[in-house]
Amino acid sequence: MKLKATLLGAAAILAMAGAAFAERGSDGHVNVLYWQAPSILNPYLSGGTKDLESSSLILEPLAGFDEKGALFPRLATEIPTVENGGLAKDLTSITWKLKPDLKWSDGTPVTSADVKFSYDYCKAPDGGCAQASKYEGIKSVETPDATTVVVTFDAPKPNPYLAFVGATSPIIQKAQFEKCLGAAAPTCTEANNGPIGTGPFKVVSFKTNDTVELEANPNYRDPAKPAFATMTLKGGGDAEAAARAVMETGEFDYAWNTQVNPELQTQMTAGGKGHFVNGFGTLVERIEMNLTDPSSDLPEGERSTVKHPHPILSDINVRKALSMAIDRQALVDVGYGTAGQPTCNLVPAPEAYASDNTGCLKQDMAGAKKLLDDAGWKPGADGIREKDGKKLHILFQTSVNPVRQDFQSLIKSWWTDLGVDVELKSVDASVFFGGDAGSPDTFQKFYADVEMYANNFDGTDPEAYLAGYKCDKIPSPATQWQGENINRFCNADYDKLAAEMSATADIAKRGELAKKMNDMLTKDSMTIVPLVDRGRLSATSNTLGGVVLNVWDSELWNAQDWTRTK
Amino acid sequence: MLTYALRRLLLAIPTLLLISLVIFLLVDLAPGSPMSEIPLTVPPEVRLKMIAAMGADQPVFVRYVLWLRQFFWVEPMHQVDLLFGSHIVEGQQRIISYQTRGPVFTVIGERIPQTLTVIGTAYLVGVLIAVPIGIYSAYRQYSWFDQLGTFIAMLGYSVPTFFTGVLMIVIFAIKLHWFPSIYNTSLKVTDWASLLAQIRQMALPVLVLSLFNAAEISRYTRSSMLENLGQDYVRTARAKGMGEGTVVLKHVLRNSLIPVVTVIALGIPGIFGGAIITENVFKVNGIGAALIGAIHANDLPMVQTLTFIFAVLIVVFNLIADILYGVLDPRIRYD
Amino acid sequence: MLPMLRPRGRTMMLDAPAPALVQVRDLKMYFPIHTGVLRRHTGDVKAVDGVSFDIMAGETLGLVGESGCGKSTVGRALIRLYEPTAGSVRIAGDDILSLAPEALRRKRPEMQMVFQDPQASLNPRMTLAQIIGEPLIEHSGLNPTDRLARIYELMDQTGLNRRFANRYPHEFSGGQRQRIGIARALALNPKFIVCDEPIAALDVSIQAQVVNLLEDLQDRLGLTYLFISHDLSMVRHIADRVAVMYLGRIAELSPRDALYARPLHPYAEALLSAVPEPDPDREGSRQRIILQGDVPSPANPPTGCAFCTRCPKVMEICTTTRPILAEVEPGRQVACHLYPSEARSNQPNSRHAAPSGSTGGGSSQHQQHGV
Repeated sequence: MKLKATLLGAAAILAMAGAAFAERGSDGHVNVLYWQAPSILNPYLSGGTKDLESSSLILEPLAGFDEKGALFPRLATEIPTVENGGLAKDLTSITWKLKPDLKWSDGTPVTSADVKFSYDYCKAPDGGCAQASKYEGIKSVETPDATTVVVTFDAPKPNPYLAFVGATSPIIQKAQFEKCLGAAAPTCTEANNGPIGTGPFKVVSFKTNDTVELEANPNYRDPAKPAFATMTLKGGGDAEAAARAVMETGEFDYAWNTQVNPELQTQMTAGGKGHFVNGFGTLVERIEMNLTDPSSDLPEGERSTVKHPHPILSDINVRKALSMAIDRQALVDVGYGTAGQPTCNLVPAPEAYASDNTGCLKQDMAGAKKLLDDAGWKPGADGIREKDGKKLHILFQTSVNPVRQDFQSLIKSWWTDLGVDVELKSVDASVFFGGDAGSPDTFQKFYADVEMYANNFDGTDPEAYLAGYKCDKIPSPATQWQGENINRFCNADYDKLAAEMSATADIAKRGELAKKMNDMLTKDSMTIVPLVDRGRLSATSNTLGGVVLNVWDSELWNAQDWTRTK
Repeated sequence: MLTYALRRLLLAIPTLLLISLVIFLLVDLAPGSPMSEIPLTVPPEVRLKMIAAMGADQPVFVRYVLWLRQFFWVEPMHQVDLLFGSHIVEGQQRIISYQTRGPVFTVIGERIPQTLTVIGTAYLVGVLIAVPIGIYSAYRQYSWFDQLGTFIAMLGYSVPTFFTGVLMIVIFAIKLHWFPSIYNTSLKVTDWASLLAQIRQMALPVLVLSLFNAAEISRYTRSSMLENLGQDYVRTARAKGMGEGTVVLKHVLRNSLIPVVTVIALGIPGIFGGAIITENVFKVNGIGAALIGAIHANDLPMVQTLTFIFAVLIVVFNLIADILYGVLDPRIRYD
Repeated sequence: MLPMLRPRGRTMMLDAPAPALVQVRDLKMYFPIHTGVLRRHTGDVKAVDGVSFDIMAGETLGLVGESGCGKSTVGRALIRLYEPTAGSVRIAGDDILSLAPEALRRKRPEMQMVFQDPQASLNPRMTLAQIIGEPLIEHSGLNPTDRLARIYELMDQTGLNRRFANRYPHEFSGGQRQRIGIARALALNPKFIVCDEPIAALDVSIQAQVVNLLEDLQDRLGLTYLFISHDLSMVRHIADRVAVMYLGRIAELSPRDALYARPLHPYAEALLSAVPEPDPDREGSRQRIILQGDVPSPANPPTGCAFCTRCPKVMEICTTTRPILAEVEPGRQVACHLYPSEARSNQPNSRHAAPSGSTGGGSSQHQQHGV
């Protein structure tokens, strides 16, 4: 994949570069709206998307992902592969070469020491580096010369493109952050809010959670770029107001994440000032089934633990019937419009990893009823199905969010039709996703029968994402309720596949394994019921050229290619 | 008067300490975690390390005492260090926001200008239109002007700003394109054109907020005027043969303004508190927006610091209102 | 109406050629009542319902009656602190009720008022010097030095220590405040002062001081007073003639001594029977007349005589025909069917009857000054 992807990426960049004849700064000013404003421009100190994407204008990694998910070199000369000798055959080390004559925006040269420092910065103890997982399994980072970086891994690393790849692990300037290691990180406010970088823009002023004023980086490696001399990145308000500012008032050229309901999308597009751009990544809205008993009758510490299997959801027929009763297209139409598509996969993309199963797309109420009838779940006097004295009663929780509440009531109506008694519950997002071990309402604790939320994986490789469903990732009191395997799914075969994947480098083989694991979780067991593949929806002005929505990396990944069209 | 003010200030100290503790416990007990806005792609063990780096994993009383020390010692001394180039608290940790990983007071410093400009102007405009309306409404009680004033005041008071704000945006920004819908905090007034731009971007939020403020203050002025218009000394003034202007503006107004000035003074901490809703609607990104953002992000140090500053301001302006009362009304003596 | 009356008064008052300083004719002060959702005008509180009297220059007319009888309203309407509904008031030749606002303002120095509640009637935010000095700035055109001299003069006249000039009203006692009120009223050399219950809010020990001050000032400055009070003993002390009001109308207007010795109107009789006698022997034999029932509402007064619902001597005619105020003995006017008079029999149902002139008042006043 690597060579081909690299070439494709390079070709895409060339094509766009060709379109831009203008010299640097000739197109004046561009206004970008991030309704969730950046709090900090150091992505290592914040995992927030808004912070990562804003900082991607300034800081760059060695390589990034293009809109198709393919790797392309940014600060590196090329993507190291086994073929070009950059990647060791045993996958234990990778050698990156920096482009010659790279300069920071302050004019000093970029060297391999800066790359190594970025690693040291994130690995420093007590720093609370948000991107620490990118640098896991690295034994050492060596700098044989000023432009060469050799990363050595503890063990063969089938996916060596984590460190220094993508907006989540950019290169920061050693000179600027040298004194900010570890616990000292928060004391470097000036550096955190105004990092010196290699990207197309540099920070002029930064107002926390409000505005970043940027100007073209005078030392950007392409002398013709960026076309815009200055940029304002403004925050505040909500998605709808942000969409209006681009689509209706024309005050802004680009607005990030303008997720509004389908009806408003149509209405705003009619304004004629701008258009929505969308792209589909790996974010999947899904229903997770709890395979353990969340009953409040159980003593605290045993609820939702593997000690007690779920009384009804342990029956695969029930899980399957619940999935069959859902009309996924209807959910898309109600909640996302063009920014969503129905899916049956936990890993819907990239192509190499996406399973082809589509069996769930068509609602099959009759089939679902029959399945339950055959499995012995017969409607009781009150219309609720029951078996062995156990009623099909389900507590369905999710976070507070208008679309999710719409989904909840739609799904409830289908399930009620099926003969299932559904009780709905919604929890404030900050609690639901807060991960506070003391709260009974976190999604990890899962004190409900089913729950709905969305999740995705970073970059293009699902290995870690799928490994989250291994038996040892089950949240429990022993792990302070931390862990990704919130369904409490445990299957020795699955664990074996996950182990195999972590030792496999061949892309085709990896794809096969990923699809198999995806199917085990979805189609085969309906432990996870995927609903909607949620795309990104952003708004762009009709006078802004060069916008290519990228769901695999920062949305502002190609801001250097943006131009003003008349 | 001075002894009175000092005594009141001394008494305020334990009150404020108690308030700070209560706020701290309340914010801490509120469900949620500073990690709730971090994407799920960040693995759990990294999250735990991030929480540890913020110090958010410490017991609540340790964090409270640390906050007290930072608020009452490190932050003031930091300002001293900045002013005089001394090194009293060099290297000591200031109050650090969970969201920005930077000092809370830096954020406050960034937010104060637009809050004071927009919310302060709205308050001032509100007062300036409310007082004359209140005076005239009372003087011509039950006239059409008074009835109209009552109606508008009721409207301004009862229609929430998130409705009027959005309505204004739809009419004046989206349909008519007269004013921007988004406030640009980076705009610097350097010439006539930028001044005009500043006025244009302030127009809508100021309009919405001043309507709300004016509604309240005009009602106070009106009722206070009405109360005084019926007083015997007003009849005395008329009997003296004073002109109506003198009677209303000198005798009645001066006495009526005593409670109004107090109400106005008590409203001033609200300016610093910002207008959470209006700031969000117009993206003014002042203190109010910072507070609501911090609450969403469970940024305890920021929420705690901001709310405590509001508490201090409220206590201080209560005292100022009381002192003003004493200054304006010779019948009141603080001894 | 007035031109018709004036010659009549003159012809009868041969020994007093000067017209009365204050002439009140058929003064009416109705306060409208608005009720219902639409605040429709549904009636009137007839606080003053056709009152006429004269006050001679230098005279003190006492105006007595129960609370709510309209006596204070008469005082205020008289100098147009209210806008009366009907009637006419002439003070020193000017028709007060028809003056334009600016002319009225310029007229104010001549007619002043001392208010009942000295605390409430003084602006709490003005010092004594400002309170007394304000009308001087407005009307006298004195320069600051002369003005201060005048303020001190007034303070001396009313027995206020000059050191108090910069104090605020709340720093004074009730008696002192009333002195401020009087000094303020005197500032512009008025001819006529309405004293609206000036002593009601004061301690008994202070009342005499204030009344003596008022009498003293009257002697020195030749003032004319309308002395409104419910304190019959104090009125007896200060007034030359006394008008007794009941439910917005004058029941009897007589020279003081005559009234107190032998009240003619049954209401006046009942009212005066409540006055304690200083002489223990006579106090012992005093027959107190206790009136039954409540005062009717001024919004809905009885037809005929206002007093007919409570009068111990009520007759059939009283409930149907309103008695007009008429002279029944020299100098004594009574509105009562017990005392037939020429005027009354001529105009049985008139509600607009004029009094039979001020002759009696004039003569009695002259008599008293002789005493």
